[in-house]
Amino acid sequence: MGISIDSPEQNSSMVNKLRLPFPLLSDPDRSRAIEPYGVANDVDPRNLAHPAVIVVDPDGAEVYREVGRDFADRITEHELLDAIGVLNLPSTIQSPIDPGSGEPGPRAMPVHAMIPYFRGARFAAVALGARHASAKEDADRYVAQMDRYMESVKGLRSE
Amino acid sequence: MAHSPDFTLLDQASLPWTLTDHLDAAVILVFLRGDW
Repeated sequence: MGISIDSPEQNSSMVNKLRLPFPLLSDPDRSRAIEPYGVANDVDPRNLAHPAVIVVDPDGAEVYREVGRDFADRITEHELLDAIGVLNLPSTIQSPIDPGSGEPGPRAMPVHAMIPYFRGARFAAVALGARHASAKEDADRYVAQMDRYMESVKGLRSE
Repeated sequence: MAHSPDFTLLDQASLPWTLTDHLDAAVILVFLRGDW
C-alpha cells in the first residue's frame, strides 16, 4: 500500500483517478509511520516523505528498504520485484478495496495533463543528460521512468 | 533484521488499516511524497 501525508479524501481521489488496486493510507502529521520508519524528509517545508519502499515479512521484520535520494528518485517496479523475488516471501491476493470518495487536493493533476507533464520532464532530462556527461546515466534513468509513466497512464480515461 | 513499528492509519475510504492485521503475507510499504 501507499503512505503519504495526504488526507483520505485526497487519497480517494488518487485511487479513483489512477484506478489503484491497493489502499492509500493517510499519515498527515507523519507521526505514525513516516517518522517511525525514518523516511521523513526533514528539509521539506511541506513535511513530505522521501520516496521509499520498505518490505515487512510476516514476522514483522524489515527485509528490504530502498529510500530515494530526493523527491524524484524512486526504485522501479521491475527493480523492486527482482530484489524481493529472491527473498521467497509469502504472497497473497490483494482484496478489492473500497475506493471511497473525495475531492483532489489543490496540486492534484488531472489525467489529461499528465502526458504533457511527463513529456516535458522527459524533454528536460534528455537535454540535461546531453549537456552534462556526469549526469547522463541519471538522466537516462529518469527518461526511462517518464516513458514508463506515460505508458501506464495511457489507458486512463480522460476526466 | 529490524522489527517494524506497527501502525494504524486511515485508508482512502477513511477506514482504519493496521499493519499487523495484514501480515499473513509480506507487506510492501510504499512511501509517497504526497501533497496532491
